[in-house]
Amino acid sequence: MSSTTRERVLRHLTAVADLQPPVQKTGKAPYPTEITSELFRAYTRSPHDVGGEFDVPCEWTEEEHEAWGHRAYVTTECLAWRGAWCAEERRRMQNVDLGTTQYLGLPYYGRWLLSAARILVDGHHVTLTELINKIDEVKKRHEPAR
Amino acid sequence: MSNDHDHSHGHGHQHNPPGPMVEEVSDFEALEIAVRELAIEKGLFTAEDHRRFTEFAEHIGPTPAARMVAKAWLDPEYKKQCLTDAIKASLAVGVDWLNPTGFGTPSDYTDLRVLEDTPTLHHVVVCTLCSCYPRPILGFQPEWYRTPNYRRRLVRWPRPVLAEFGLQLPPEVEIRVEDSNQKCRFIVMPVRPAGTEGWTEDQLTEIVTRDCLIGVALPRPGMTTNIPLPVHKPAKPGHH
Amino acid sequence: MSQHDRTHHAKIATGKGDPQCFKGTAGPAKFKVGQTVRIKDLPDVFYTRCQVYTRGAVGQVAVVTHESPAPEDEAWGHVDHSEWFYIVRFKQKDLWPEYPAAFANDTLQTEFSERWLEAV
Repeated sequence: MSSTTRERVLRHLTAVADLQPPVQKTGKAPYPTEITSELFRAYTRSPHDVGGEFDVPCEWTEEEHEAWGHRAYVTTECLAWRGAWCAEERRRMQNVDLGTTQYLGLPYYGRWLLSAARILVDGHHVTLTELINKIDEVKKRHEPAR
Repeated sequence: MSNDHDHSHGHGHQHNPPGPMVEEVSDFEALEIAVRELAIEKGLFTAEDHRRFTEFAEHIGPTPAARMVAKAWLDPEYKKQCLTDAIKASLAVGVDWLNPTGFGTPSDYTDLRVLEDTPTLHHVVVCTLCSCYPRPILGFQPEWYRTPNYRRRLVRWPRPVLAEFGLQLPPEVEIRVEDSNQKCRFIVMPVRPAGTEGWTEDQLTEIVTRDCLIGVALPRPGMTTNIPLPVHKPAKPGHH
Repeated sequence: MSQHDRTHHAKIATGKGDPQCFKGTAGPAKFKVGQTVRIKDLPDVFYTRCQVYTRGAVGQVAVVTHESPAPEDEAWGHVDHSEWFYIVRFKQKDLWPEYPAAFANDTLQTEFSERWLEAV
């Protein structure tokens, strides 16, 4: 329904703005002279390299995984088993290439899943068009009967 | 679960004949299905591969590592093997690190190292970069092990973090953090606790919990479970 | 990437494991157990597994572990060159300025490929 899609789009534009770090809310890229060496390093750091950063005591928890999460894990291992990639390529795509916002904001197995999708495309095994169409087809398959 | 038709909106309408029960899927579920189906369609792996690896993943857990420690406590020769060739020592507890692919699991590799505690040295393991963990012999990591919080803090404030898990050690005990960042995988071999004299291998295995093998707990008689923590339940659970 | 031989790793590693499949490919190890080394602060653009918190720190080689391609190369599927890997041990007080003096014995160790180490 087009009105639901429009509502979704407008909500998305607000959500995206909320994810921007305060330093980026000026609406234009900084001048090169505004980027100190420290800022350059901070921006270009590997997001997964968190050892020694400050954080506060938290409640430690266990988690029982979602079924899709474990299936995604098995998929990434099968992709490596049969040679589409190796685990280190996966770690790069999953823990670094995603960037800090997705790295900290997405569920653990969500990132495994995205990296599996990514290697299909980056490895030229599927085109992005094929992936888009497949996701669309899967979603339609699972729409409740109207 | 599929939606029932909601009639609370008040106006009548014609029903189509009810379709098959279908579940709504989350964005993650839809992507998972899409990726797996495409990978199989394109010949990147087979459905049988996925089934076999799933079966492997459903059968791993911490008991073999616990038994390795128990055996080492009872047999000084086996202990030496654990410390010099832990991959070979794993065979004695039923773990062949080459399974299920013939060359190991892609993410866990085949270089296990056992970190031997002494009365003046205690090890604790973290992977600050991701969540590397010796899955074939220890099962899956607890959720807390994967968190940026644990990974940020354990390397710099190990004693406060261990205290949060209930473990406090005197200053004479060296705490050694192992940041597991490459292909080696680690388990901790704690010191055999007092009060276990004459125990069988089974009895000793029972008190070497997963938390002891990571290093956030010390084994003791009567403690056969991990530190009780809140458990987040999934919307649609997998096998546990 | 679509041209690469997907059977290569299984061919070299089946029956051996990984990193065992790279044994003998890195030449002689440059550093020895007990040697004092400093961690280099090489540029870490795009990807690294050498944690920033170790850069510039001085420690002792505790274990010479194995040969393997460096993760900075393996992360793009380049497995032609291997390096020796080393577990290096640091005193916590040398890593963190605020580490309590009461716990002067505490240590940390982590693993580096050879390119990250220099003799002191």
